[in-house]
Amino acid sequence: MSRESRHAVGINREKCVGCVHCLTACPTRAIRIRDDKAQILDELCIDCSECIRFCPHDAVDSHTTPFAELRAFAYKVALPATALYGQFGNDTRPNEILSALRRIGFDQVFELSTLCELHTAAVDEFLTAHRLPRPRISSTCPVVVRLIQKRFPSLCDLIVPIEPPREFAAKILRATLPGILKLRPEEIGIIHITPCPAKIVSINHPATMAKSYLDGAVSIRDLYPALRTALKEIDEKSLMRHLFPETVFSGLGLGWSLSGGETRGLKNHRIVAVAGVRDTIRVLDQVEAGLLKDVDYLECMVCPDGCVGGPLAVENRFVAKSRIQRQVHAAGERTALDRTELSSLYQKDFLSFQHAVVPDPVPLLDADPARAIEKAKLREEIRRRLPGKDCGACGAPDCRTLADDIVRGSAHPDDCPLAGKEKK
Amino acid sequence: MAKERAFRQAFPVKGGDFSRAGDVSCLIKNLLKEIGVPAPILRRLAIASYEAEMNIIMYAAEGTADLTVTPDEVRLVYSDRGPGIPDITLAMREGYSTATAEMRELGFGAGMGLPNIKKNADTFLLASEPGRGTRLEIAIRLNGRQL
Repeated sequence: MSRESRHAVGINREKCVGCVHCLTACPTRAIRIRDDKAQILDELCIDCSECIRFCPHDAVDSHTTPFAELRAFAYKVALPATALYGQFGNDTRPNEILSALRRIGFDQVFELSTLCELHTAAVDEFLTAHRLPRPRISSTCPVVVRLIQKRFPSLCDLIVPIEPPREFAAKILRATLPGILKLRPEEIGIIHITPCPAKIVSINHPATMAKSYLDGAVSIRDLYPALRTALKEIDEKSLMRHLFPETVFSGLGLGWSLSGGETRGLKNHRIVAVAGVRDTIRVLDQVEAGLLKDVDYLECMVCPDGCVGGPLAVENRFVAKSRIQRQVHAAGERTALDRTELSSLYQKDFLSFQHAVVPDPVPLLDADPARAIEKAKLREEIRRRLPGKDCGACGAPDCRTLADDIVRGSAHPDDCPLAGKEKK
Repeated sequence: MAKERAFRQAFPVKGGDFSRAGDVSCLIKNLLKEIGVPAPILRRLAIASYEAEMNIIMYAAEGTADLTVTPDEVRLVYSDRGPGIPDITLAMREGYSTATAEMRELGFGAGMGLPNIKKNADTFLLASEPGRGTRLEIAIRLNGRQL
């Protein structure tokens, strides 16, 4: 279907009934119904997954890495998103979850909360060193980066040029593991465990580097049944392991999957945390209008409540959030990081983007400005003649978008089933 | 058609409606993005149009934003029915503001609005009749692009 598409979401044509749920849910108006099936317009889609959330027929697939594909690697390393820690029963400790990942087939599991704390500390240094312009915007959510490239190209320069924890975690492992394991780099698969499909886009088509350090992203949803079974089979050995916890968690990094979690450690800066794709768009509009200049750092997460609300998580986000909050509370402000080590990594640009985020604006009305203006006029005339019911029956999400499609040549006024009827 | 090549649209702006503040400038901004206005010019337009819209929302009962886009420039005329500006020279001074405590609580009224608009516009014409209303005309050139 969308095999050659750059996106992580695609319509399952067998399941799609051509209704309008995804059409109206899409915040970038990237979906049309054509020949009774939904179709995602590549150049407009930002992989926010609202369509996955709203489809009542489970007809939007996400193209994350299938678990079985990992067999190709001689040595499999898991880097689970911290959102995973909220997915299982109340008393399930993060350490048990990491050990369950090992039991289902990963050779090694690395914990990300420490690297989340490292990221916070790096952002702290960056914000202190770069006073202007403001506000700076986090690059952690790959959908926000796409959204800025496409819809807010003038804000590209505000993105803090520090890779997200999953990437520099993989970078560190890529640099160290082959030597330790005596394996060739390509034999080692470094895999993110993700609550969202957008990560696979940031791996396959990274915005700030030539090639991602990660080899794939498996969804929490796909691993959940096996992990659940593995967690039930707690044996004596794994109980004993709790007495010698193999992993040190960072209190500051554990809450990263919750909105505001990323910025909790930024005590020296004025921060604002936004969650949800529509609110993110609203706030970015304000930034573009010159507002929020008194804010140092803007954390935007397009999923509701943060990554914990990702569409490929299993547990409802309220319960998951409550569990993670308890884990954060239990861990307190415990830090897992040596600040001087961080400074040296930061100074060496080890954590930085390879290149800046560059604009990738949505298609213009016309390459020629004079003709673009003509088309804008024509579009407005057409829009006025349309009924304004935004019913979606024509296949576009609303009348304005139909008018837009008409002037761009991909739709016809007759597509409107109400056309000709007097606009009320 | 050949003569009238400009895109024109009038947007009503409702005074006192802080919850919709920025909606009109956002519509204008999105239109200009689709026409291909380059990012640095777009930012100036976004800032100037937002501030001008805010002035109507903060002080006037109602007003309109009249947008004219040609391949050469974007022109915006904001006219409102409001208290007017008794002393324009004073109003143009940075830091001068007649904003109420309530507006300041909302983060407005730093006295930078009009100077900020002027800074970002290539043409800036402000006329006012106290007690009647204000008319602000701004234009930003879309230079450096061939037709």
